[in-house]
Amino acid sequence: MEQTLKNLEAQALKDLEKVTSMPELETLELQYLGRKDGSVTNIMKSLKDLPASQKPIIGPLANKTKTIIEYAFENKRKSFEEADLTKQLSKEFFDTTIPSKIREIGHIHPLSQVQEEVERIFSQMGFSIMDGPEVESEYYNFESLNVPKDHPARDMQDTFFIQEKDDPKHGRMVLRTQTSPVQVRTMEKYGAPLRVIVPGRTFRYEATDASHDTTFYQVEGLLIDKDISLAHLKGIMKEFLSRLFGKDVVVRFRPGYFPFVEPGLELDFSCLLCDGKGCRVCKHSGWVEFMGAGMVHENVLKAGGVDSKIYQGWAFGFGLTRLVMMKYKIDDIRLLLGGDLRFNKQF
Amino acid sequence: MLVSLNWLKDFVDINVNSEKSFFNKVVVGFVEKMDKHPNADRLNVAEVNIGNETVQIVCGGVNLKEKVYVAVALPGSVLPGNFEIKKSVIRGIESNGMICHLSELGLAEDDGKHEISIIAKTTPGTPFVKTLKVKGMSPEELQELLTIKTAEVEKIEREDKHLQHVVTGKLIDFEKIPNTKFHHKGSIDIGGKIIQLVFGSVHVAEKGWILPIALPGAKLPGGEIKEAKIQGVLSQGMICADDELGIQNSPSGLTVFPEGTPLGKPISEILKLDDTIIEFDNKSLTHRPDLWGHYGIAREIAALTDTKLKPYAPKVVIPKNGESAKVEVKDFDLCKRFCSLVINNIKVEESPLWMKKRLKATGHGAHNNIVDVTNYVMTELGQPMHAFDKEYIKKGIVVRRAQKGEKITSLDGKERILTEEMGVVADHERAVAVAGIIGGENSEINEKTTSIILEAATWNPSIIRRTSTKLGIRTEAVQRFEKSLDPAWGELAILKAAELILKLCPSAKIAGPMTDIKKSTDKPVIIAFDTNKAQSKIGTEISQLEMKKILEKLEFKATVKSKGVLTVEVPSFRATKDVHNENDLVEEIARMYGYDNIPVLLPTLPTKLPIENLERFKKHRTRELFSYALGFDEIYNYSFYGLKELKNCGMLETNHIKLLNYLSEEQTHLRISLIPNLIKNLQLNAKYLDAVKIYEIGRTYQEIGQFMPLEEKKIGGAILSKGKSDQPFYEAKGAAESFFQKFNITVAVAKGITDLPYAHPIKSVSYLATNGETLAKVFMLHPGVVKNHDLEKYSIAMFEINFSEALKFEKVEKFCKKLPRFPNIEIDISVLIENTVEVETIKKAILDSDKTLVKSAELFDIYEGSNLEKNKKAIAYKVTLQSDEKTLTDEEMAQVQQKIFSNLEKLGGTIRGK
Repeated sequence: MEQTLKNLEAQALKDLEKVTSMPELETLELQYLGRKDGSVTNIMKSLKDLPASQKPIIGPLANKTKTIIEYAFENKRKSFEEADLTKQLSKEFFDTTIPSKIREIGHIHPLSQVQEEVERIFSQMGFSIMDGPEVESEYYNFESLNVPKDHPARDMQDTFFIQEKDDPKHGRMVLRTQTSPVQVRTMEKYGAPLRVIVPGRTFRYEATDASHDTTFYQVEGLLIDKDISLAHLKGIMKEFLSRLFGKDVVVRFRPGYFPFVEPGLELDFSCLLCDGKGCRVCKHSGWVEFMGAGMVHENVLKAGGVDSKIYQGWAFGFGLTRLVMMKYKIDDIRLLLGGDLRFNKQF
Repeated sequence: MLVSLNWLKDFVDINVNSEKSFFNKVVVGFVEKMDKHPNADRLNVAEVNIGNETVQIVCGGVNLKEKVYVAVALPGSVLPGNFEIKKSVIRGIESNGMICHLSELGLAEDDGKHEISIIAKTTPGTPFVKTLKVKGMSPEELQELLTIKTAEVEKIEREDKHLQHVVTGKLIDFEKIPNTKFHHKGSIDIGGKIIQLVFGSVHVAEKGWILPIALPGAKLPGGEIKEAKIQGVLSQGMICADDELGIQNSPSGLTVFPEGTPLGKPISEILKLDDTIIEFDNKSLTHRPDLWGHYGIAREIAALTDTKLKPYAPKVVIPKNGESAKVEVKDFDLCKRFCSLVINNIKVEESPLWMKKRLKATGHGAHNNIVDVTNYVMTELGQPMHAFDKEYIKKGIVVRRAQKGEKITSLDGKERILTEEMGVVADHERAVAVAGIIGGENSEINEKTTSIILEAATWNPSIIRRTSTKLGIRTEAVQRFEKSLDPAWGELAILKAAELILKLCPSAKIAGPMTDIKKSTDKPVIIAFDTNKAQSKIGTEISQLEMKKILEKLEFKATVKSKGVLTVEVPSFRATKDVHNENDLVEEIARMYGYDNIPVLLPTLPTKLPIENLERFKKHRTRELFSYALGFDEIYNYSFYGLKELKNCGMLETNHIKLLNYLSEEQTHLRISLIPNLIKNLQLNAKYLDAVKIYEIGRTYQEIGQFMPLEEKKIGGAILSKGKSDQPFYEAKGAAESFFQKFNITVAVAKGITDLPYAHPIKSVSYLATNGETLAKVFMLHPGVVKNHDLEKYSIAMFEINFSEALKFEKVEKFCKKLPRFPNIEIDISVLIENTVEVETIKKAILDSDKTLVKSAELFDIYEGSNLEKNKKAIAYKVTLQSDEKTLTDEEMAQVQQKIFSNLEKLGGTIRGK
């Protein structure tokens, strides 16, 4: 009996291998597993006639054989079905080139996008992000920054003044011409050491054209601690610009004058378009003018209540608007605040 | 500020070699490989290593071979003869430059052999100029040196920059070209050769005139001149007006050379345009009063190049006796020093050419020899001067403050009314000049003047600035005086002017000793300079000795006081304002040591969490919500609007902050709402789009009776769609609610808005915080405002959320709810009801039917139509029932449903399909 079962299994698997179509499979299945006269079924039926001593041995064996054969048939059936489906699918026609169905998403203004990127990079270097009033007093906008009345440097920044506001200590009210007043405000509030940036809206009273607007955005930076040097300013700015532009950027200093810093300097970075070799964008100098900076003037530290004998540091201010224009090759500053969606929807 | 290189050479040896510019983009190359050109017998294709890359160059040099070093002119280089190298394709092969023979670089005679020059082994990529022993700097190098170490040089330009191939030519004959309006055909003798050219009648020219002729190849400011056919006639050049040549030579605008001028000569030679002009950015000189004259710049260059500076020593003998100017200084606060000198026997006439040329090159007009001398001294030394006609000075000079309302007619012919804080130079009867700003007409030098009083004074910079601002006069004198000048210059200026006047006008006689009135001499500024602190600020090691040397080069006196401390005396020309403490010296050290030599370092600071700015963080999240989830576009608007816009929005001026000075009538008031500018955005964009969804996050500025106005951050939004619909309102309401949901802010809704003039009073809601404060308003735009903006074809809803206030009500905690364990049942209920019953009332009636089992009721249809009873609407809700304890039975469901039906019927509704 054992041998019969083995032979049956071997024969069934062998027969199954030869099957090439579903009808053939069905016929064969009837032959082996058919309820009425299948060879496996018949054996199962005959089990009851076995002697009692044989039953516990042959019974499980027969069941096993049956399972193996059933499983083999099931596999074969699945393989035929899969082949059928594959064949059927391959015949279908479907046009994937019909335009996509897109739910239109809105657009975030380029100034917001770049501002967030700037904030993210500086935050990662431990800088806090500060805010300050846009309508500012003359004191914070000028005097506290070492620009007394009648200082020629006031010419550098044409100022919007507010009507009928005057205060003996704080002077007139102005629309801040720079984010720098927040330097002193932050020092007053938090003292030293300090590591902050201030991105914000600034105003100048000057005629508008493709590269000038009454309203623009700046980012102020301030790092005050012990032993902070110009070398660190180079380091931080190189790190920032390289991360921002995703490539290694070289920075250089040259002399510049801003009353609130001493030494005062300008920072340029290597032109990204030509890698410093000289092109139209950098006016063939290889450098792009980027920002004013310098060691915070001791009068400014004093105005902020910081002891210049213990603490020193640097400050910088760059044009976020300019950065955005450079990044996206925007040739007219007025587009940024123009509110024309044909522009805004591009970002 | 314009500085003449020739003028600087009076004081310092500067070797600027313009030829060096030619080598700007010429580098050393190493020929790695060379093959024959496939399509040309005499050409080769070389692979040349130029440092960081290898380029392909097509070259004809017969002696070129592999593994040699050569001079390579890269694309963009301009070789002698204005020959520009460009990237090109030569017989089908790309060529990225030119391998040069020395003759092509102007360094040797052309031997006609078609060879290239093989040079000694040098690292590829090295600027070729470094392999030569060319002395001096190129103009670009000088520009770079000054920019990097002193102040920004905007450009350095040779006066003859555009005059290559521009020669003298005689107009022999000309005639009008038939059938043209303006064009003439002329023949020009350019010295042994006659050319033909076409010109317009813009130049009124006569036969025989000798004129500037630009020949083909000339690169004028407007472009390159080429041989061309104009109106069908060959033109081999161009007659040029001054502006076409970029020069200012003749008052008429067209230079006509005197008869007998040689023909075919470069006009730069004839006009002696051999100077090089350095243009500084004035802003970068703001803190350097010493650099506002040629002598100061020369001193700086001497320090930068380690060259000797010639002393400023006018050669003039001032008599010990004789007539001096009588001067009385009444206010030493106004005037620190007043030097003056009387010169007689003056003959006022035109200045000599050399002086006019220098003045012109530095941007000054020429007047007469006396005025020109004062301008010359100012431009050379930096000390402004004035000359009075002595005849008109009654009794003597008085330096005093003006009287209130005192009048003077200034040199520009305008009457000026003065105030008490302004200074004047007066005689004993009247003011003759506004001190340090502008002279008076009443004592002006004229052709009859024979005696003059020269003035060189040191004025109070603040008074100068205030006066100049008040009077609206910005002269070159103001520019200099307001920066605090060295009082020592007064005397030097007088001596130099006297020397020049005697030279220009040999008959002149100095009348007597110089009058020099000063109250006290300023004490020298002495600084104890901590060199260790300086190192710590610069961030690199610079020895005390090196610092001392740097300071001495700049004419500071430095002595070692102890290790780490220098005692530094500031020279008078730097001591007025510029340098008075240690940090000022740090700047001198840092720039001269070289900003480039400062290392790039990151600070080693302790790890510290930044001060949190959640508002800023959430502003960015809000943008993502509005733009990326709700589909709005972000807009930035100006912080202002004008009176007209204010009125169009039905607003009053109350609470507004007004600008004192403004640029446009549309930017006069600071905004107290974001809405008016957003309406303008809608107007603009409706031109191109049928639907607009925009928002802005920005500040408003409100006058609240305190010194500082109230600045609040708001979110303003607008939805516009074509045609009549209330849908925009519901979308706007949804946007506001999404915001509150996102930040977990609990709000209550209040119907109708009466306090916003631009809001529809009924189609509007406010959102209130738990304490009753209004956080947001959503509304359809008021029909009147819609009309004012010609937007009647559209439906417009808007919202304004007080961002900073709303965030204060943010609930930070949020707890997880258990998921339901038993299945829910959904039933649809439709009710026919009076159309004035609000859906919120209906919803409440449903929810109230069973507060534990009715979990939600969602509106899914509102229908009003002709097949319904009049004034009725059909409302359909999907109601979800669910128990937290068990699976509901059909019976339990039916009970709740019945309760809902009866509640709705109480509202007057008829259940449909019941």
